[in-house]
Amino acid sequence: MIGLWDTTGIEVVKALANERRSAGGLTSGLALTLIAVVDERQVREAEAAATIAASAHPCRLLIIVRADVTQQRSRLDAEIVVGGRLGPCEAVVMRMQGRLALHAESVVMPLLAPDVPVVTWWQCSPPERIAYDPLGVVADRRITDSAQSDDPVMALRVRSDDYVPGDTDLAWSRITPWRTLLAGAFDANRVGVKAATIVAPELDPTALLLGGWLEARLGVHPSRVTGTGKIMEAVNLELADGTAMNLVRDLNAGVATLQRTGQPDRILPLSRRPLGDELAEELRRLDPDQPYASALAAGTGKRRLGERTAPRVHIWKDPALAERPEAAAAPLQGSVAP
Amino acid sequence: MTNPLRDPQDRRLPRIPEPCALVIFGVTGDLARKKLIPAVYDLANRGLLPPSFAVLGFARRDWGDGDFEDLARKAAQNGARTTWREEVWSRLAGNIKFVPGSFEDDAAFDHLAQTLDDLHDDAGIPGNAAFYLSIPPSAFPVVLKQLERTGMSDNAKSGGWRRVVVEKPFGYDLASARQLNDLVDDAFTAQDVFRIDHYLGKETVQNIMALRFANNLFEPVWNSNYVDSVQITMAEDVGIGTRAGFYDTVGTARDVLQNHLLQLLALVAMEEPTAFDADAIRTEKLKVLNAIKVPTDVFTQTVRGQYLTGWVAGERVPGYLEEKNVPAESKTETYVAVRLGIQNRRWAGVPFYIRAGKRLPRRVTELAVLFKKAPHLPFNDADVEMLGNNQLVIRVQPDEGVMLKFGSKVPGTQMEVRDIAMDFQYGEAFTDASPEAYERLILDVLIGDKTLFPDSAEVNASWNVIDPLEEAWSGSTPEPYRAGEWGPRAADEMLAREGRAWRRA
Repeated sequence: MIGLWDTTGIEVVKALANERRSAGGLTSGLALTLIAVVDERQVREAEAAATIAASAHPCRLLIIVRADVTQQRSRLDAEIVVGGRLGPCEAVVMRMQGRLALHAESVVMPLLAPDVPVVTWWQCSPPERIAYDPLGVVADRRITDSAQSDDPVMALRVRSDDYVPGDTDLAWSRITPWRTLLAGAFDANRVGVKAATIVAPELDPTALLLGGWLEARLGVHPSRVTGTGKIMEAVNLELADGTAMNLVRDLNAGVATLQRTGQPDRILPLSRRPLGDELAEELRRLDPDQPYASALAAGTGKRRLGERTAPRVHIWKDPALAERPEAAAAPLQGSVAP
Repeated sequence: MTNPLRDPQDRRLPRIPEPCALVIFGVTGDLARKKLIPAVYDLANRGLLPPSFAVLGFARRDWGDGDFEDLARKAAQNGARTTWREEVWSRLAGNIKFVPGSFEDDAAFDHLAQTLDDLHDDAGIPGNAAFYLSIPPSAFPVVLKQLERTGMSDNAKSGGWRRVVVEKPFGYDLASARQLNDLVDDAFTAQDVFRIDHYLGKETVQNIMALRFANNLFEPVWNSNYVDSVQITMAEDVGIGTRAGFYDTVGTARDVLQNHLLQLLALVAMEEPTAFDADAIRTEKLKVLNAIKVPTDVFTQTVRGQYLTGWVAGERVPGYLEEKNVPAESKTETYVAVRLGIQNRRWAGVPFYIRAGKRLPRRVTELAVLFKKAPHLPFNDADVEMLGNNQLVIRVQPDEGVMLKFGSKVPGTQMEVRDIAMDFQYGEAFTDASPEAYERLILDVLIGDKTLFPDSAEVNASWNVIDPLEEAWSGSTPEPYRAGEWGPRAADEMLAREGRAWRRA
């Protein structure tokens, strides 16, 4: 491990090369570069998750912590860990302060592993439009987490406005266990569905996506009932032959009960996975996730999200302007950003 | 009606079998305790079993469901690779049943049939069942007869699918393998028979096909124009352990060459399948197995060995003849090396050297493709003295991965070329989360995917390779080698005669 204080991007590149050399294993299977954009207070959580994900997908892990952009002086601190506490990956944890935080890509670009896919993951509120963040523009896959926002459902709607293929939200991987059980229950079902109800809190992005998925696959618009708990509780389906199929989560036991008219109840595993497992699921496939696009489209009332193609082009936007109106007044030299 | 919630594009949803039961014969045996029950638990823990799933154990013990559950719980706790979660187990345990009885006992099998039928109403399992025969082959006929008699093996009668899983050995020679096949195919239909070769469940073995057929880099040189020879090694550092009774009647060739090693050879040498499905892959594997040329002079092109007392991994170990229950004058081999050829345009003239043995220095299974040397070297002879053949090595276990060995300049002011190894580890070894071979294979049986299972034609073709060798060897005495060495000298001489040497695996 090397710690570099108040350093430069060039020093970081050199130190990473040195650390790789002294770690011995010069060749390794490098499948991707994972850029994690993290809030200062969530660094530990993000590191733990990235460690789990890296153990399934050998990667170069670049953790970017953006601190206060209004600081007068820019400063970069970096920590380089190869095959150490962050699991079997090459990791660089970078803290950026001042205006540098708005130009994180200038440090990150030379650190990307050559010609392997880049995945950017925001473990914080993502930019309103991903095009505002060069780290999102450079990525082949972009992973957001709407649950990080104050209004997660609104955040998901923003994501659908901004969607291009290659985007996903962790709310989608959080419902994979639900979808697995529902699809499993349908394997033994021969009749269609008349109506669907989802019991979940109002501001639950997972319920929006699950509803969208059911609507896209079954052609039934699910109704919503506000439950008592803080997470999604049940999916109730009314089948064409008048019988019912309900999947009800036991909030404490990590299981769900599948109730079908005329059949004994079945208890099935349904537990919340650690963030790292959800992230690892995202990294398993680096191509666009069409089922996510259809679920998001159906859930937010958009159309044909999967057909959007245009790759993003970076749009310069200075978040500091609002806080430092004098910066906006300052004359810009050419088109170069301050 | 197909399931509307299943979308081929939706790769996040795991493949899950239909509601079904797994019936294990010989459930108190080693394999069931060490592999099958832990694998079932791991599948349940990963949420890969259907909502309705039952395990029925059958063995000659005077037990109730409770005693069996204790044994199963211990087995699962000791063998599971995923974390222990009591709620997963208690859910699984609720559907574990034990049926006591001997294989001759008609009443016991009627009871088993009744228990399976009851699952229809009690557990919502519409007749689907897989029978795992974790029993010695000598017990196959009577068990299969019983399954036939009670109608349990009949798809139509049971209202669902009925599958049978058999483990190696698949017979003792071609004749007995045929007999066994007929027996199993009679009771079940041929397409419902799953022969487990657990090597094929390994991630790296499946990766051979990805490496060869998903890349454009390797296939153009994958032929006799560029390949000098192929070496396949399966070395074990352990001895025969407590398997003397079985091992002494079989020997290394029948134990591992006939199945694991010839399957590996088939995967390395086969042509590209027309599709990545069970039938297409089997067709190609069968073609190459049928094209294997058995050496005409068995004694110069094969070596059999038997280990003597020696030191392995810092311990003094007894020789084969001193092992418990091995007859003092046994001529069974514990090491075998053979030179095979493949008669087709791609491989004509390329020797395939295959070796397997016990009490070798370390445990390793690998496939090495050795390429021909460059036709012309513009360097001084002295500069390239240390340059060997380029090699592509696929390591199956342990440390699954791929290694590429090629010449490179030694840094410095002089031109000096030497071999370096580029070692690449990816796959199973990289993550603890990747499944044990049995987990994968049991899941495939329940789903009905036969891609990773050899069929009877492949088994017969393999015996066609082994039988002439065994016939020539009969009565001969294996060459002695010291435990902890890479096999008998004769094996080194066999390659030296052709100007080659074994890779140190």
